[in-house]
Amino acid sequence: MVLTMIASLLWSWMLRQRITHRNQEMQRELSERQQVESALRESEARFRDVTEAASDWIWEMNKNLQFTYLSERFYALTGIAPQYVLGRTRWEIATIESAADRQKWRQHRDTLAKNLPFRDFVYRTGIGNRHNADRYLKISGKPIHDEQGEFFGYRGTGTDITEQIKAEAALRESEIRLRQIIDLVPHMIFAKDRHGRFLLANQATAAAYGLTVQELVNHSQRTVHGIDAEAERMLADDREVIESGASKQIAEECFTDHTGHIRTLQTIKIPFNEPGFSETAVLGVSIDITEQKQAKEEVARMRLYLKNIIDSMPSVLIGVDPWGYITVINQPAEQACGVSWETAQGRFFGELFPQLESQFEQIRQAIHLGHPIKTPRMTLEDQGEMHYADVMVYPLIADSASGAVIRVDDVTARVRIESMMVQTEKMLSVGGLAAGMAHEINNPLGAILQGSQNILRRIDPAMPQNRATAEAIGIDLNRLNRYLEQRRVLHFLEGIREAGARAAKIVADMLSFSRRSESRFVPVNVEDLLETVLRLAASDYDLKKKYDFKHINIQRDFDPRLGVVHCDKTEIEQVILNLLKNAAQAMAADSVPSPTILLRTRYESRWALIEVVDNGPGIDEKTLKRIFEPFFTTKEVGAGTGLGLSVSYFIVTEQHRGRLSVTSQPGKGACFSIRLPLDRGALS
Amino acid sequence: MTGWVLIIDDEEMIRENLKAYLEDEGLRVAAFEAVTPALRWLLDGSHCRVCITDLRLPDMDGNTAIRTLHRLCPDMDFLIHTGSSNYSLPEDLRTMGLDNACVYQKPLSDMAPLAAAVRELVLRENRP
Repeated sequence: MVLTMIASLLWSWMLRQRITHRNQEMQRELSERQQVESALRESEARFRDVTEAASDWIWEMNKNLQFTYLSERFYALTGIAPQYVLGRTRWEIATIESAADRQKWRQHRDTLAKNLPFRDFVYRTGIGNRHNADRYLKISGKPIHDEQGEFFGYRGTGTDITEQIKAEAALRESEIRLRQIIDLVPHMIFAKDRHGRFLLANQATAAAYGLTVQELVNHSQRTVHGIDAEAERMLADDREVIESGASKQIAEECFTDHTGHIRTLQTIKIPFNEPGFSETAVLGVSIDITEQKQAKEEVARMRLYLKNIIDSMPSVLIGVDPWGYITVINQPAEQACGVSWETAQGRFFGELFPQLESQFEQIRQAIHLGHPIKTPRMTLEDQGEMHYADVMVYPLIADSASGAVIRVDDVTARVRIESMMVQTEKMLSVGGLAAGMAHEINNPLGAILQGSQNILRRIDPAMPQNRATAEAIGIDLNRLNRYLEQRRVLHFLEGIREAGARAAKIVADMLSFSRRSESRFVPVNVEDLLETVLRLAASDYDLKKKYDFKHINIQRDFDPRLGVVHCDKTEIEQVILNLLKNAAQAMAADSVPSPTILLRTRYESRWALIEVVDNGPGIDEKTLKRIFEPFFTTKEVGAGTGLGLSVSYFIVTEQHRGRLSVTSQPGKGACFSIRLPLDRGALS
Repeated sequence: MTGWVLIIDDEEMIRENLKAYLEDEGLRVAAFEAVTPALRWLLDGSHCRVCITDLRLPDMDGNTAIRTLHRLCPDMDFLIHTGSSNYSLPEDLRTMGLDNACVYQKPLSDMAPLAAAVRELVLRENRP
């Protein structure tokens, strides 16, 4: 027992010794350990500080790939309580939905199985968290090995990228929206780098090249643009913008699209720095203004077209506002007032067209009543010459501005032609009338003429029958004759006879209006004919006695090309003689100092022209108008019947199908022109 | 100078003046205002060598008158005294011996040429 006790005491001592030793050892060990632990603690604290301070968390897995450790940041960042995670594998907590997910995980687990390190593996987990939404985690890890090199597990960092993913998704969504917007815009929106490569293009841009956006982006404009010159010009603009750093506005540029249509673009280009792209690019927007431009050009063209139309009108057109101020005038109006449209605009029309000023009332009325107002045959004076104009005022009813157009047509020529036609008609009716009248007049004239002849004969004392009758009733014929002479009865009888003869001549002249026969047409040499007329003139009683024909200087200007003309020789001789007489008479009446008559002939393609030109007092316009009218005369009553020129007119125009015209100005002589057709066919 | 000269004209003064002038020339003249009385006078047995006729007559036109008178008195010559200016001789009258010289235009300011023509025709009648 003692022994047992000693033994036990000894054991106890020994044990105590051992324990002491051990204690000492332990103490030492403890001290060492404490040192190590303190160092470890320090390092751990440092590690924790680092991990706590880091935006990532630290995780550890054992060799079965179950989580064994998660630093505090895990909860802080993900809101997932660690107890849901520890002891489970990563794929156990992951949400795996899509095929891509499964593929991704297969690769990941493969990596893990091979104990390989990995970096930036992203996965999704729906495990309970305080955010109540899936979290996106991005992790990187390295395998750990023990001292023997045995695989021990994984250790790594993780970070919650949910917000980043969400932000990215939001960004993507806004990008898509933006994309939709820029694709919706009909204008071309694009960005190019300095080499002309498309960095960005909207659908409109791509469509212009006949490509999709994907096909266009990253391709150079040079390779997609059909017209090299256009591409180079656009690229030059791009470079200018990139190099100057200043935006550029191109008001109009040509662009040939893939269908070959040439479009007109209005483009703005600005320098542009794409994020993540160090070089400056160019961002541009092009607006297709082809149609606008065409419309504008169409308007301009239409305006020019209308201007040309109104200019091409022979009428004078003056556009005025309701107060008479000029808005537009056409070319004939410009010529009429001697002022251009631009200058005329805004001026009172009466100032530029004083002769039309009286139309102001018509303008007012036309606008008021809403229908045109005509003033036919308005007489206007232009440099002393009378003109006739049809004036019409049209009201203009526009949306806002009303006004009127004054149309002035010079109808002088028409008025003259009309009066000439009236004259011709008059002559024709005179001709017809004369023929009808002639027979009726000729009988009484016959009675007058034959009666006076018989009277004169039957009072003649030389006639035996007279003497016999006188003797039978006891009258002395000689004494009777003396009586008749003294009482001027014979003179009166002679007067009756002469008057009758003159009336007979008038009727005969008038009859020539209706007579038309070709039977007496013969080929006549014009020069010979004129010489005959001159001989006739020299021997003509009137010309010889009254007008001193031999003192008139006769000039000849004969066209040698003119040979023979078919005409009634005597008639034409009479016409020319009549013209010579008239000229001589006119020059004598005016006491022209050196009276001259020029006889001129000209060969015209269809006509033989014979002109009688004098240097007499000329003929005023009023007379010219009526000169060929029958019974129109400027001579004193009794000096001429007034049939001469109208008979000549008919001889030339009716019998010869020629023309007789006259030109003259007061004080400048007169020129009578006879045109006889050279073509005989014209006569039939 | 025994032959008669026949004048047919509806205008009395023309008729009378011609008659007076020709009578002064020593011719025997019968004057009528229309063809019918002239025909009656001829049918009554009068002989006439020259006829001066108007063309516009109350009972027939001058050409017909000449044809009618010619049928009745084939040896009678005709002179026409007309107021119309556009008269032209029909062909059958030309074959009867008339020509433009036989046409006298009214008014005659001198009757002497007509009288001379009548005298010549009358003398020709007397020749054979």
